[in-house]
Amino acid sequence: MQIQFTLNGQATTVDAPADMTLLKMLREELDLTGTKCGCEIGECGACSIILDGEVVNSCLMLAAQVDGREVITIEGIRGEDGGPNDLQEAFIEAGAVQCGFCTPGMIVAATVLLEKHGYPTREQIAEGISGNLCRCTGYQQIIDAVELTARRRAGEEI
Amino acid sequence: MSELKTVGKPTLRMDALEKVLGTARFTHDLKAPGMLVAKVLRSPVPHGEIVKLDVAPALEVPGVVAAITSEDYVDHSNWGFPVKDDYMLAYERVRYVGDPIAAVAAESEEAAQAGIDAIVLEIKELPGVYNVHEALEEDAPLLHPELAASENEETDAEADPQYIEVQAQGNLSETLIVRQGDPVAALEKCEMVVDQHYSVAHQEHAYLETEAALATPTPDGGVIVYLGDQSPFITQSNLTMTLGLPADKVRVVQPKYIGGSFGGKSDNMYETGGQAAMLALRSGRPVKLVLNREESMLGSYKRDAMTMHYRLGADADGTLKAAKIDCWSDSGAYASMTPFTGWRASIHAMGPYRYDACDVDVRGVYTNNGYSGAFRGFGSPEVQAVSEQAVDELAEKCGIDPMDFRLKNCIRLGDTFPYGQKLEESAGLDACLERVRELSDWDKKRAEYAAQPADAEIRRGIGVGCFFHGCSQGAEGADNATHIIRLGANNRFEVISGLTDYGQGSRTVFCLIAAEAMGLPLERFEWIQNDTDVSKDCGPTVASRSTMLGGNATRVAAERLREQIRQTAALLLRCEEDQLTQEDEEFKAPDGNSVTLDDVISYSRTLNIPMSATAYWEMPHIHWSFSEGRGTPYVAYHFGAQVADVEVDTRTGKTKVLQIWAVHDVGRVVFPEGAVGQIIGGIAQGLGYGLLERVDFQEGQLTNPNFDTYLIPTAADMPPVTVEFVEDLLSFGPYGAKNVAEPSMVPTTPAILNGIYQATGERVRHTPANLERVLLGRDLKDSVVTVCRDGICERARCDIG
Amino acid sequence: MERRYGYERVDTCEEAVTLLSEGGMESRLLAGGTDLLVEVHKDGASWDRLIDVSRVAAIRNITEEVGAIIVGAAVTHTEIASSDLIREQLPALAEASASIGSPQIRNRGTVGGNIANAAACADTLPALVCLGAVARIVTPEGETEIGVGDLVTGVNRTTMPAAGIIRDFRIPKPADGTEMAFVKLGRRQAQSISRLSLACMGRLDAEGKVADLRVTPGACTSQTQRFDAAETILLGQTPTEELVQKAGAAAAAQMVEIAGRRWSTAYKEPALTALVERGLRQVLGIAEVK
Repeated sequence: MQIQFTLNGQATTVDAPADMTLLKMLREELDLTGTKCGCEIGECGACSIILDGEVVNSCLMLAAQVDGREVITIEGIRGEDGGPNDLQEAFIEAGAVQCGFCTPGMIVAATVLLEKHGYPTREQIAEGISGNLCRCTGYQQIIDAVELTARRRAGEEI
Repeated sequence: MSELKTVGKPTLRMDALEKVLGTARFTHDLKAPGMLVAKVLRSPVPHGEIVKLDVAPALEVPGVVAAITSEDYVDHSNWGFPVKDDYMLAYERVRYVGDPIAAVAAESEEAAQAGIDAIVLEIKELPGVYNVHEALEEDAPLLHPELAASENEETDAEADPQYIEVQAQGNLSETLIVRQGDPVAALEKCEMVVDQHYSVAHQEHAYLETEAALATPTPDGGVIVYLGDQSPFITQSNLTMTLGLPADKVRVVQPKYIGGSFGGKSDNMYETGGQAAMLALRSGRPVKLVLNREESMLGSYKRDAMTMHYRLGADADGTLKAAKIDCWSDSGAYASMTPFTGWRASIHAMGPYRYDACDVDVRGVYTNNGYSGAFRGFGSPEVQAVSEQAVDELAEKCGIDPMDFRLKNCIRLGDTFPYGQKLEESAGLDACLERVRELSDWDKKRAEYAAQPADAEIRRGIGVGCFFHGCSQGAEGADNATHIIRLGANNRFEVISGLTDYGQGSRTVFCLIAAEAMGLPLERFEWIQNDTDVSKDCGPTVASRSTMLGGNATRVAAERLREQIRQTAALLLRCEEDQLTQEDEEFKAPDGNSVTLDDVISYSRTLNIPMSATAYWEMPHIHWSFSEGRGTPYVAYHFGAQVADVEVDTRTGKTKVLQIWAVHDVGRVVFPEGAVGQIIGGIAQGLGYGLLERVDFQEGQLTNPNFDTYLIPTAADMPPVTVEFVEDLLSFGPYGAKNVAEPSMVPTTPAILNGIYQATGERVRHTPANLERVLLGRDLKDSVVTVCRDGICERARCDIG
Repeated sequence: MERRYGYERVDTCEEAVTLLSEGGMESRLLAGGTDLLVEVHKDGASWDRLIDVSRVAAIRNITEEVGAIIVGAAVTHTEIASSDLIREQLPALAEASASIGSPQIRNRGTVGGNIANAAACADTLPALVCLGAVARIVTPEGETEIGVGDLVTGVNRTTMPAAGIIRDFRIPKPADGTEMAFVKLGRRQAQSISRLSLACMGRLDAEGKVADLRVTPGACTSQTQRFDAAETILLGQTPTEELVQKAGAAAAAQMVEIAGRRWSTAYKEPALTALVERGLRQVLGIAEVK
């Protein structure tokens, strides 16, 4: 079936089977492999995308359900020059990246978290990424990166 | 050593950018034109004889292009090291739920699944055995009757004392020992004795990227396999053997990005690669095989579960005297790395302490509980999770603070380990203990928590764990690495390693070392993906050996390349090489003229001087006698101590870890934010191991094969962690470095368990210390527990229901 | 062989009911997908078609009426947890929704789906039963009302009329002075399936005696229900620590009476006792024991 939606700011039409998940459609029909598959039951968050401003697991949605909606994947999260934005830079700086497999999902979740809480506490950050499993980092440097971004956006010089 | 410029300085991970952008392609993300999708048929039963297996019906299914069994391979795909007891696809028998039996490649995932469903499979179920002690009983079902020791075999242990005698006796795969004096006699004389049974559960690696392979046939009848494994050379060796191809027809390439391993991407990956490769050869097309999470959890090996009997003895003043330690390691269906994890466990079982007398016996036992193999720490977390609890119990008997007890007995510089090795350098354990004591405010909290009201429901406790961990493979075998550094077309120096970077950051570590040795900025270096056509075999990426072995090989190669550069610069500047001064990328002659590195490179190209250096580096030779249980098992050790502050709800059994302090002696820290990341990541795995994680085998069925039921820590489960390093430099480590990666999880588990004990007054001697164990003293799903009453230990079947 | 299925999105309950009633085809309602798509992955689809009701406007609202709050079936857990109205007037429900899964799950999962799926550990279930919520259901024959406690009869078992769709939940506003609590006990600090949970509410009269008390454990018995054995100990009494402890023990005993002794009982008995004690202290205003 035909699915028309906005993907990373662009009007997009995809023809996909009715029972194809959004995750599969992104990775296989559109070759947007930044969004990862980790469990297929909505527990690991590696498949996280932004749907109409909210973070969701794309493995638990049918592609058909994004018809008429706005989707942002990791490929759509960029700075103005097309390179990394401030959050992505902070991830690099704070040592928040090891193997990198959870990273796109983490950045997606953190992006939405920072829109909800402009200046989150570390507990709020941990809660905001509690749906994203990481087996490499132990999370602390990821929380550091999000905190760093929030503080910089608030005008603190770090 | 003069001030270092790049090693140990704040550095950004070299491959972080593409990961944060989402442009890094992992094996999961690779595609090839004409690619087929593969699926694997796995055993639904824990033990059985394959009575009928016919894949011909699969080939009738529209879209299916190839279907294979063990018959497609040489010697029925038999492989395995150190024990050749496994198969790429099962032959005659299946021995665990998830054992791969057949594989299919098709035009679509749907067709592949239909192909799998069409395969005719009949298995005659055999009785299974699911408990290591029952597996050793006389009438236990045998997992590997084909491996029974033959009478003609000269005892290899006599021929070569370095050989681990791995000859199955019934379901006993091997016994690894340490011997010192007569601990049984010594224990009789000890005033303070702890005699307890403990156990640790199977743990799942839970790397976020599951196993995947992309295999492409080549026109000359060979195959290229893209695989995120622990060594492309080991894969290559296994594939040449089982595919029956010469080495020059089997190329293994690691994708640049691999989604974690923690020791988990060897055996199951070699098989995944072997399955994809054979399908590619049979179909003549590229084949991609990706396991979903359940397949990964069912099919792949785990950290061994172990049961242990610890008898420790001390004088009344708390001086450790004797240790008699018996361990049974659940090897599961195949030996995999258990002979080696068992060996490392035997060396570490007594903990980093001095003893007059010490015996350790670690027995690897076959069962039908999945199979066990390498996982971060490789035997050391299993035993030290327990030894650190036993030591705590003994400290309490002696009436001595746990920190004081450890400081009294811990191995220090110049001491001798129970197995005979003298610790000659790089011995920072006491410094770690003292520093973590200070950082955590141990004494104050210990006293405060001891004084909390008896009727408080929410209770606090603070616990310590310390450890040692032998660096690299030790006496397991040859321990060397060969690195190449060569000039690339873009004027950057390419570091080429046969070691794998699956996220721990070795590429950044190697480039930092190369930059340091050559006096150049880090931006001049890049890392080339590991490829059997390009790299040199460095052995497996295990035992946290990359920094020492790969780092030293890099350093030596870099020093050689630096020589070449300086000689070329000297030619260009018309002076002697030893007259040159170098500052970053500028070379100056005594007459004041200077050239840049780019000038030197251009000149070298005009002269056809190939800028490249190769270096081999090997660990100092050591000797361990497997038959005597004595010798020098490792050339160096990583030491550390962690403290955990916990809060226990004694009405629900729920434990919250409030804070962790970790101080580690890793020698020189090469890549600071990487090292910190490894410590905290390891702590998360240790926290999971202690509180949450257990692969739940019920009569051989793995009942929790995904993340909803196999629980690993989330961000909300992790406490704030304070990390510090003691850099007790190792003379032959690269710039004094030892290793970081594995050991960070070792002390976390016992620190938490010891904290729970202070909080509740009840010992949880079996991991994980989940809700039920903390509240009731046992997990309701345990089918067998060991109960110790009046010094007599009995195994008892529990009521489930 | 994976069973394939079709998909239709509808804009009204009536359309959903029409499609559900269509013969020769097994249809299921899809809202947030957080249960259904997990089921597809684990067991395969057991339907021919999914009917997407996640955007039916009429079931997406939280509204206040005289004496009741109406929560649409396709309202998400995030919306419930962040609704000022629900946080103020039905805090136990807000906390129950807030405790589910992860941000990703809460952004999609709906209260209607949570109840209709009727998992043993569904967290809004004890809250809604405690609150006396009534499910208003659209069927081919018209509308019907079923109390949530009667709608969910067991694990994954409901008395949903054939071809019916829950429109919303009508939740009576608690009387002035009512206190309520929701407690969840899971194995981890986040993304936890409930090992046990509890929703309770209570109100004291002018003399300080318990005028109303409702104790509803969750993930505890196959049908989620109020435990009157605990309630009657305190009803009409001045609440004391001693009575609270008696009520906790009575709740555990009633659990065993209802569910029998199972393998998990050895844990749930003491844990439920603790949860009930703590919940009662909170809603009846007794100082927390340390």
